[in-house]
Amino acid sequence: MAGNPGFGPRCYQLSVMGEYSYNTTWGHHGNFDIQSLMPFNPHFEMEAKIQLSTANVYSGAIQFRPKFEVPVGEMFIETDVYYRAVARNRVSDFTAAIGVGYRMDYVSVTLGMFSRVVGDWDRSWYSKETYVAEPFNLLYRLEVFCRPQANPWNLSFMFSNVDDYQMERMWQPLFSIGAYYDVAEHWRLNFWAQCKPTGMFHLDATFYGATFRTGFTYKF
Amino acid sequence: MLSVSCANEDSSLDIKGMFSPQGETINTRFAESMEYNDSVGEMHLDMQSDDYVVYVCTDSHITRKEHKNLDYFVQQYKNAPMPKLAIHLGDLIDAQKNFPCVDSILHYPGQSRLDTIFTTPGNHDIYFKQWSIYRSFFKTSAYWFDTHNGSKKLDLYICLDTAEGNLGTKQTKWLKDLLEAKSKEGYRRIILFTHTHLWKLDGSQGHTSNYALEETYELTSILGKYGVEYVWCGHQHARQSVIFKGVNYLVLDATKDAENGQAYMTVEMGESAVYHYHNYPKN
Repeated sequence: MAGNPGFGPRCYQLSVMGEYSYNTTWGHHGNFDIQSLMPFNPHFEMEAKIQLSTANVYSGAIQFRPKFEVPVGEMFIETDVYYRAVARNRVSDFTAAIGVGYRMDYVSVTLGMFSRVVGDWDRSWYSKETYVAEPFNLLYRLEVFCRPQANPWNLSFMFSNVDDYQMERMWQPLFSIGAYYDVAEHWRLNFWAQCKPTGMFHLDATFYGATFRTGFTYKF
Repeated sequence: MLSVSCANEDSSLDIKGMFSPQGETINTRFAESMEYNDSVGEMHLDMQSDDYVVYVCTDSHITRKEHKNLDYFVQQYKNAPMPKLAIHLGDLIDAQKNFPCVDSILHYPGQSRLDTIFTTPGNHDIYFKQWSIYRSFFKTSAYWFDTHNGSKKLDLYICLDTAEGNLGTKQTKWLKDLLEAKSKEGYRRIILFTHTHLWKLDGSQGHTSNYALEETYELTSILGKYGVEYVWCGHQHARQSVIFKGVNYLVLDATKDAENGQAYMTVEMGESAVYHYHNYPKN
């Protein structure tokens, strides 16, 4: 974002990361992530992400993000398409989202909605029983940063119901901590951790799962 | 909804529970339920007929003053001819200290083992560390029973404890093992009942949360694999029907007084299962 010192230059990026993850349903598993950021011009960027999991689950996401500067920070339209092939259960989960976001140096907020279709791999596509649609879900994401976004290191705390590969139902929040450190001109070291409770809005929250991620980003 | 104080006696919500479990979690409740189940042995109901009726209601949320709909449900059930059984799908009470009241409604004089009203806990039933109280009245939260006509097996019923929107590791394994064994025994149909619904189809469900997505995938996969025919749930206070992987997921209206659209369900169990909704009288 040339001209906006808060954000620094946005450049093409490729990230390769590994994850350790646990939840009470899938148990212990590992994930391998590849992510790319493509800022085609100052007003439009795209992200593409793939995750392969030893839990026999395969996820992909594409995000289109038109954006424009405002006197303080920038606004953006979040347009996301996620697909998750849950091969272990022979179901697919397709979600499409649209939202509006506002990003400043220390805070980023996104609010929108998404629709979900869960498909059964073992039923005829001519049968209505093949899929279940959940047409309306609220999307929310609040991220607070410790440093301005152009800083060579940063630490953030996020409260949301979406992350890079999943869109949870609106009453199933995710709590994440992210960090990066620019170890060289083109190389960035990333850390990320997430806690997923269940039953918060049953008013009986319990631990359900956690994920820890680390890896490198190459900035072109 | 969330403005109600949690500190007062008889309050209906435990806000602290949003951030950490306030009582026994699912693995503990499940272990204690299994301990009770083992102590009393298996439960087989001889209906003396292939055909019988199941009365099902949910979310009565009774207080000491508001329980007209649950009274009506029990009266209808009590007056129905045998063979029959009844199930309450959880959220029996709305606030603390109401288990004696709900127990006195569900366990009426002259009731026999063959007209038991089975229950499963909902989230309101275990707030405020109430599991021990629930347990003192209803003994177990995860169990199975079946119906027979003499030596002929009819239907298998499985009750899961999903009061906190999470099956837990031990209960998930128990469910898999139970279905693996029982699905080969020639039951006419397998029915699972629990409090928390699996799907979130529209905004009518308001504030009700359900399972993590991973658990939704896993549970629907298990139920489809072993040929479960029906899943009966409550929690969202609005009826819903979804068929996925051959399993019919029915969510019932609430039985709570002073709420629009209250209804209970009867199911005529025979060669096929035919269900009907019945509205409660206007309060």
